[in-house]
Amino acid sequence: MIAARWYELRKRRGLMLLLAGVTVGLPTVYLAIRLVLHAVAPHTYGPAGGYDGYVNLVAGVLYVFGFIVAATLGATAGSVDLTEGMFRHHVITGRSRLALYLARIPAGLGIILPLMAIGFTIVCAVSVFAAPSTLDYNGARVPAQLSRAELVHWATDHPNEVVNNFPLRINPGDLPNTACLPGPSGPDGRGAKAFPGSTTGPCTTAQLRALAVNVANESYDDYSRHFLSPSISLMVKSGLWIGLEAVVAFLIGLGLASLLGQRTVAVVLMIVLELILTPLAVRAHLPHLMNLQRAVIGAATAHVEPGGLPRPFGGSQTEQVLALHEPTGVAIVVIIAWIVVWTGLGAWRMSTRDA
Amino acid sequence: MSVQSLAESGAVQDPDAWAVEVHGLTKRFGANIAVNRVELTVPRGCAFGYLGPNGAGKTTLMRMLLGLTHADVGTMSMLGHSVPKDRDKALARVGAIVDEPRFHQHLSGSDNLAMLASSREPAANTRIAPALDRVGLGRRADDKVGSYSMGMRQRLGVAACLLGDPELLILDEPMNGLDPAGMSDMREMILSFVDEGRTVVLSSHLLDEVQRTCDSVAIVDRGTVIRQGPIAELLAGSSLVLEVECSEPERARGLLLRVATGSSIDLVPFGLSATLPPGSGRDLVAEISRVLVEGGVDIYRIQPLQASLESWFLEVTSRLGAAQ
Repeated sequence: MIAARWYELRKRRGLMLLLAGVTVGLPTVYLAIRLVLHAVAPHTYGPAGGYDGYVNLVAGVLYVFGFIVAATLGATAGSVDLTEGMFRHHVITGRSRLALYLARIPAGLGIILPLMAIGFTIVCAVSVFAAPSTLDYNGARVPAQLSRAELVHWATDHPNEVVNNFPLRINPGDLPNTACLPGPSGPDGRGAKAFPGSTTGPCTTAQLRALAVNVANESYDDYSRHFLSPSISLMVKSGLWIGLEAVVAFLIGLGLASLLGQRTVAVVLMIVLELILTPLAVRAHLPHLMNLQRAVIGAATAHVEPGGLPRPFGGSQTEQVLALHEPTGVAIVVIIAWIVVWTGLGAWRMSTRDA
Repeated sequence: MSVQSLAESGAVQDPDAWAVEVHGLTKRFGANIAVNRVELTVPRGCAFGYLGPNGAGKTTLMRMLLGLTHADVGTMSMLGHSVPKDRDKALARVGAIVDEPRFHQHLSGSDNLAMLASSREPAANTRIAPALDRVGLGRRADDKVGSYSMGMRQRLGVAACLLGDPELLILDEPMNGLDPAGMSDMREMILSFVDEGRTVVLSSHLLDEVQRTCDSVAIVDRGTVIRQGPIAELLAGSSLVLEVECSEPERARGLLLRVATGSSIDLVPFGLSATLPPGSGRDLVAEISRVLVEGGVDIYRIQPLQASLESWFLEVTSRLGAAQ
């Protein structure tokens, strides 16, 4: 029965195009354009891969739009038998209505999860394999994928390039034993940067290295964010996270559509929940409605987001934590409650409604 | 009284006796009583017509039997299994079409049947192709249902019924939307099911078709079964119509009124049409013939006509309407 349900959903061409387009097509087209642009004009357009593109695609496209398409699939699975007159045929077979309802869950998940997995795998592959092998800081070519210690070590070997070309500016006067002017350097032989207000003389080699180590240390966050590929740990965690989001969205969509007996209103409500209510719940500071905010499913799933990803609905992590503090345990309870309640409501309605 | 199984109520004496047995079944929609204390028994191995005007509660009764909606009061059983208690056992050998048969438009006929077969026993999958062939859809089995005509969807509905190798078929208005050839095919199909020992319960307002298809009928009006039994027995108790083609119809009318009291006699272009009282037999026809001849009326043709199911139905329901 599950296989038959899966087949029926899979044969809905328009729905499948929507699902594949959002979960696989959108990230693929975006990454393909970036790959082509980088291949054509590498100095103007950075590499398609790397950490930055990865987190934006995962926390932006796959998380938010994945929720909507999974909910759409759930709403379709929950309503089409009714609207297309097949529900009564199934009831007449004598099969339990609960079994008919529950068969839709693995059938639907058997569609949305593989599609999400394909899209996510493409994002991961491009992020890793098309990550930059070197980076260019104003002409200073720095190897990519370095750890902090490796970057610091590289900086001691290339102090002039680091001090003169890294975007981070450190006034020599602010650092002990570095009250000096870096001398002309750099691979292009341009002159040294002028530090405004500096009246000291040229740096010694030791002073220059100390300055370069400081610049490398301070620059590492920026370096790693923009030029490292995502770690395997982050990819695994974020894959599970968007998978959870898809499962939750599918089950809510299924339950809601089964309860309402139709798809359109269910899909509209799910979009409103994801694009309007959830950002409000996550970002607004409403002391009297704090518990209500915590009970919004999007706020709960946002709280179990893996570290290292940007917040899915904008704003910094600090801002959101300040606006809505929610312990992880509470978030998990909220997620389970949404799944249980909507699945229960859908099953109850399908078991009791006139066919 | 709430809905309870027949076994619990003790109403089942012989579970194999009836294909369908219903006692005191009632269903309300708000203040409206759609089905009102219906008593119904359908013998096995026959074609049974469930007749009534629109809104009489035919479809509602079928929906309750099939578990599509709940009964408020009463007991039901199908094939000896009480419903809804043993609904799964009963429906395992029941096939049904209720209302207009609708399917997934984006799937082919065979795919739709595969969907339904997946809800039944594994053997149902092996019955898909034979069922499609039997209803004449073998060649169109792989076409999308969206391209099917109304008649083809009706046939597909019958094919869906056959997936469970049913002992009992419940068909709600199976002739709806069919052209004359389609109706003839459907009639043949229903009769062939009965020949195979299956029981067919069908509702219809096409009384002529029912008379040609069914052995027994029940008449339902305003939610209540008002008559039921074999068609021949029911019609035997109905009025007899006598057509008389003769000279001097006015004089003949006067003679007839003397001999056949209680008759309704109309002048028609060819002579007279007399509706004789229920229970009138061949003796009365012979007496009328003798009186007319002795009265000097020339008789060119005299023909007794048994009332059709349609005229009987109208007679019964109008009589009821007048009484109320």
